[in-house]
This record gives sequence, structure tokens and C-alpha cells, in this order.
Amino acid sequence: MTSADVDDLVVIENVDFAHGYGANKVYKGLEMRIPRGKITAVMGPSGIGKTTLLRLIGGQLKPQHGSIKFAGHDIPQLSRSALYEQRKRMSMLFQSGALFTDMSVYENIAFPIREHSDLPEEIIETIVLMKLEAVGLRGARDLMPAELSGGMARRAALARAIALDPELIMYDEPFAGQDPISMGVIVKLIKSLNNSLGITSIVVTHDVAEVLTIADKVFIIADKKVVAEGTPDELKASDDDLVQQFLSGEPDGPVAFHYDGPSFAKDIFGQELDSDSEKSRERESKQQESAEQKGNGNAG
Amino acid sequence: MLDKVAALGKSVLDTIAGAGQAMVMLLRALIGKPQLRKSWPLLMQQMYSVGVLSLVIIVVSGLFIGMVLGLQGYTILVDFGAEQSLGPMVALSLLRELGPVVTALLFAGRAGSSLTAEIGLMKATEQLSSLEMMAVDPLRRVISPRFWAGFYSMPILAIIFSAVGIYGGYLVGVRWLGVDEGAFWSVMQSNVEWGQDILNGIIKSLVFAFVVTWIALHKGFHCTPTSVGISRATTSTVVTASLAVLGLDFVLTALMFG
Amino acid sequence: MESRNAQLAVGFFVIIGVLALLFLGLRAANTSIGSNGETYKLYAKFDNIGGLKERSPVKVGGVVVGRVSRITLDGDYYEPLVEMTISAKYDEFSNTSSVSVLTSGLLGEQYLGLSPGFIDDTVEMLDDGDYIQDTKSALVLEDLIGQFLFSQGND
Repeated sequence: MTSADVDDLVVIENVDFAHGYGANKVYKGLEMRIPRGKITAVMGPSGIGKTTLLRLIGGQLKPQHGSIKFAGHDIPQLSRSALYEQRKRMSMLFQSGALFTDMSVYENIAFPIREHSDLPEEIIETIVLMKLEAVGLRGARDLMPAELSGGMARRAALARAIALDPELIMYDEPFAGQDPISMGVIVKLIKSLNNSLGITSIVVTHDVAEVLTIADKVFIIADKKVVAEGTPDELKASDDDLVQQFLSGEPDGPVAFHYDGPSFAKDIFGQELDSDSEKSRERESKQQESAEQKGNGNAG
Repeated sequence: MLDKVAALGKSVLDTIAGAGQAMVMLLRALIGKPQLRKSWPLLMQQMYSVGVLSLVIIVVSGLFIGMVLGLQGYTILVDFGAEQSLGPMVALSLLRELGPVVTALLFAGRAGSSLTAEIGLMKATEQLSSLEMMAVDPLRRVISPRFWAGFYSMPILAIIFSAVGIYGGYLVGVRWLGVDEGAFWSVMQSNVEWGQDILNGIIKSLVFAFVVTWIALHKGFHCTPTSVGISRATTSTVVTASLAVLGLDFVLTALMFG
Repeated sequence: MESRNAQLAVGFFVIIGVLALLFLGLRAANTSIGSNGETYKLYAKFDNIGGLKERSPVKVGGVVVGRVSRITLDGDYYEPLVEMTISAKYDEFSNTSSVSVLTSGLLGEQYLGLSPGFIDDTVEMLDDGDYIQDTKSALVLEDLIGQFLFSQGND
């Protein structure tokens, strides 16, 4: 075991992954090291498979190739029961919160404790109230998840995620769909949980500004692999086009505005434009105008 | 032409894969040491939502089907002056066929569809994933209690259905149409046997319970977690389970009474 | 608390199920004493009772006065002995009454038709446990056809 392994809670090496038996690879040769006790941000354009990454670490998906080590255990190789043992040490905050809709907030947070321990009810109550206090929802203990706002639901889910004092929390898009105030609350919570409990955090997001204020390390994923990594300051100073496009949010650049496909002209005319004849070009440009109008109409 | 063959091949493969998934799901859910202390309240909760809440529809439809049987049977039998045979006619049709089959069909529509939708929605809202990440096996926590609840509830519902149906037949036949009460019961009693009729009906019901609950859980657990996917899965539960019940009923009837 | 309510409801559910099963078992598939009120018993021996069953009605002029409560074989020659339970309201049958196995309709169930006998000073009334001497057996179709053919052959 090298010294790097000691410092890194999660080590991902040379991972290839594709959904199902499909040839469309989500990841090819992915390499990542998540430092222990730090907040690591994973950023990238939408649809790049960031949630898939968290599911790979959690063992819900298995890569076709490569190793994913959590605290030295190779997650894809573990038996079912060993995997469940390791999962007790990690937890995940889902995008939707994923609170159990048929239980009150209190029961939701007590749920993992009841499942994994035989603690008496008074101790469970103490733990649950402590966790609720940490996210500021002690007063909402008897509400049902349907009665919570989106931001409160996510905080309640966060309280549930820390109920068993995990070593690793994975946040899946924690800021998506939040108003500025609840976003600020969640940013503060992630930071304070990391500081006070020393929990390793992986934050998957595309909200650049928020996450850069708290992250210790940032990975940018694009094109099936990590394209940039470093501290927030290092990335801001980077001269890589893609990094700059992503950090400043420009619409076109190395990450193209258009999804890969045949050229627009080919889609419309069924063939590439013939640039040889001046006449045909004129004629076609007229056609193209009308076709574009049609196309706009369809798009509308 | 080749495309059609390929499509056929794909659908066969998908069906086999689906059956395999369903088998693995059931085995994983049921095998393993049961933790009685934790699973008992869960079972009760599911027995309540699957069994108790289906009681009203079962009692009402049982009563009406029994009454219709009484009415129809009477009009046919009275032509032969054999209206005393109304009792066994009502009782045997209910105990052997209608009790188990109609209960299973109603169960598929009432409880099966709601099981599928519930589990599908749990999947869509990531509740199942979140259970897994909490190191709680959703098969053991979610699927297994629902399966047993369905398996235990349906035979009870079928028994209640048959009993209520016989009472409905009695109401129409004896109270309304004036078939002799003693003959109604006595001829019924001399024609209905414990092992041959009542017990076989219960066995049928157990088989249907197994199949319907299994299909409902499988469709929910392996649905596409979108609104369209869940609605398709729910429809598919009702259709598949109903067809399976009717098909199996023929096989079972042939084995038991053939 | 909520799970307790669920348990209670499930408990009732199971109890209803058991009651329904008892109903099916006792009412639909077994014998039980259904009639209530005061009764007394009469006996009658037949050569053949045909399709008569326990709990078949005993009628006087079409009115049900009692039920067949037991059918056994009696005596050295194994004659069918029918025990009738008659309502105590009708206790004035003379010992000249007759009883016959009749069929309601062409395919209907068989029942016992009781015809009250004449009454004068010399006859006594039937009491609990008495035998009705004058009985007519069930008509068996095969016997009838046999007799018919036999009588045809004699002509």
C-alpha cells in the first residue's frame, strides 16, 4: 500500500463502463482519486454520467473493466454481503431526496438506525433529534415528506444520510432546482458536516459558482474521462479551453452546442450540399430558407 | 422479412430475460434467514393494504355474483322442477371456480396494480436505490413482505368471497324466489365435499396468489422508472396476471376435476 | 400506534376469513341441526327410499312439517329406516297415517309425503318414537319399466 492510498478514500483506476450491453461507453479509462476528509467536486456537462459515477462507487453498477477501491476494498469484486457491509460506511444524497413517502421525517431518519442496530428507542430518538438539529429541521420531525418544500426535503434526506455517521457522503446534484437561500443553506451544511465530522464528501454538480467556494479538489469530466483536476484556484488559472468554457458557461466551444448527428443539410435534403454549381446553390439556398422555416415551425 | 424474424427473436429473448429476472428477484427476496422481529410489522402493514383494503370489493362482488347465480340458476332449474338443486349449483360454482378465479382477477386489478405502481414509483423516486445505498436490501425490505402478504391474503379473500356468494345465492333463491330452505342447504351439503371442493378451491387460490403477486412485484421492480413506464407496467400487471390466472385455472381444473 | 391499528385490522380480517371457512365447512358441506323449536321423532321403514337424503323435507299436502333427520339400515333384512323430526306443532297424526317417498317434479329432489289417517275412537295418536306402519317406497324407474315389459309379455 502506497502512501497515496492511505490519503485517498476512493481510488478509481482505468474504469470502462457502458450501460447494458450497449456499445456506447459512458466512461473509458476513468482515473480518479478522492482524498479522505475533503470535499471533492465532480463537474461536467449534463448527460456525462456523473450520477453513474456515484452509482459505480456505491456498487449499484458494475464497470466492465477497471477497479474502484473504497477504503482498500475493490467494490466491483465484493460479494453481495460484503458490499452491503461496505455500504454501511457510505451514504448517498439523491437528487430527489428519495425520502420514504409513507413515513414521517422522524421515521425516515430513524429508519437506517433501526435497520442496522438494536438500539433502544430513547437512544434512537436522541440520535434522530441530533441529526435533525444539524440540518435545522427539528421542528419538522412529525411532517410527512409530501408536506416539505424541495429544500427542506433535501435537508431531511441529508439528515438521514448522516444518521449512521458514514465516512463518505455522495451528493448527487444537491443544488439542482433550489432557490438561492436553500442553496446557500445546503452549501453551508456540506461545509460544516465536512469540518465538524470529517466526512469525506463527493459533490456531483454543474453549479460551478456554489461548489467552487467549498471544494478542496475539483474534477471536470468530459468525453468519457477526467479532462481536468486540481484545486479551484488551479482550475481558474487553467488555460484549457474546455475548463474555461465550463467555468464561465459559454454556450459553444470544445463541448459543442449540437449533439452529434448528421449535418443539418443532410437531415433536411437527404444529401450533402453540392457546392459545384452556382445555380443549384442558389436554388438550394432558397429551399433551405423555406426548409429552415419549416424546421423552426417543427421545433416550436 | 429478416427484420421480422429478428424482432421475433428479440421479443423471445426479452421474455426469457424477463422471466429470469423475475425468478432471481423472487429467490433473492425469499431465501435467507427471516428476521421475524423486523419483518412481522412489515407483513402486517402489507396484509392491511393488500388484504384488508380489498375486503370491501371482494364482499360486494361476492354478494352480487352469488345473487346473480341464484337468479340465473333458478330460472333454468325451475323449468325442470329441480330448483332444489340451486344450493349445490351455487355452492359448487363458487367454491370450485368463481371464488378463486374472480377473487384472483379482482385482486390483480385492485391490489396487484397498486403493488406495481407503488414499487414502480419507489423506483422512479430513487427510494429503492436509496435503500440499497443504506445497505438495506430492497428485495428483503420491500418485495418479500408484499409477496407474503399477497400469498396469505388471497386465499382468505377467496374463502370470504365464496361464503358471501353462497349467502347471496341463499338470499335470492330462498328468501326471494321461495326455494325450500331445508332443501337448499341439505342438497348443498350432500353434494359439497371438504376435500374435493373446498380444499381444492383453496389450493387453486394459493396458486393464483403466488402467480398474481409475483407478476405484480416483478412488473413494478423491473419497470422503466418513468411515468409512461409505470403506467405500462401497471397495465401489464393486470393483463398478464389475469391471463395467467385464467390459463392456470384451466390446467388446475383439468388436474383436480378432470 | 399506526402499526397497531394495522395489526388489529389484519386480526379481524383473519377472523372473518376463519368464520367464512367455518360457514363453508359447517353450513355448505356438513350436517348441522338447522331447525329449532320443539320437535318429536317418528320412524318409518321402507323397502326402497330412492334418492331420499338426510334433511329432506317431510310434507303434509305440500306443507313442510319436519325433516328427515337420520337414515339407517335396520333389522335382519337391512330395511332402510328413516327417522323424521316433526315439529311439535303437528302432533295429532293418527297411527293410520301413511308416508311415502315422493319426487317433486320430474328431476327434483325427493321428499317424504305424510298423509294423515282417519281418526275415530279406536285409533291412537302417534307419539314420539312411534313407527308409521303404512309406507310406500320410492318409485324406481327401472323397476317400473321392468314391470311394464313383464305385463306386456304376459298378454
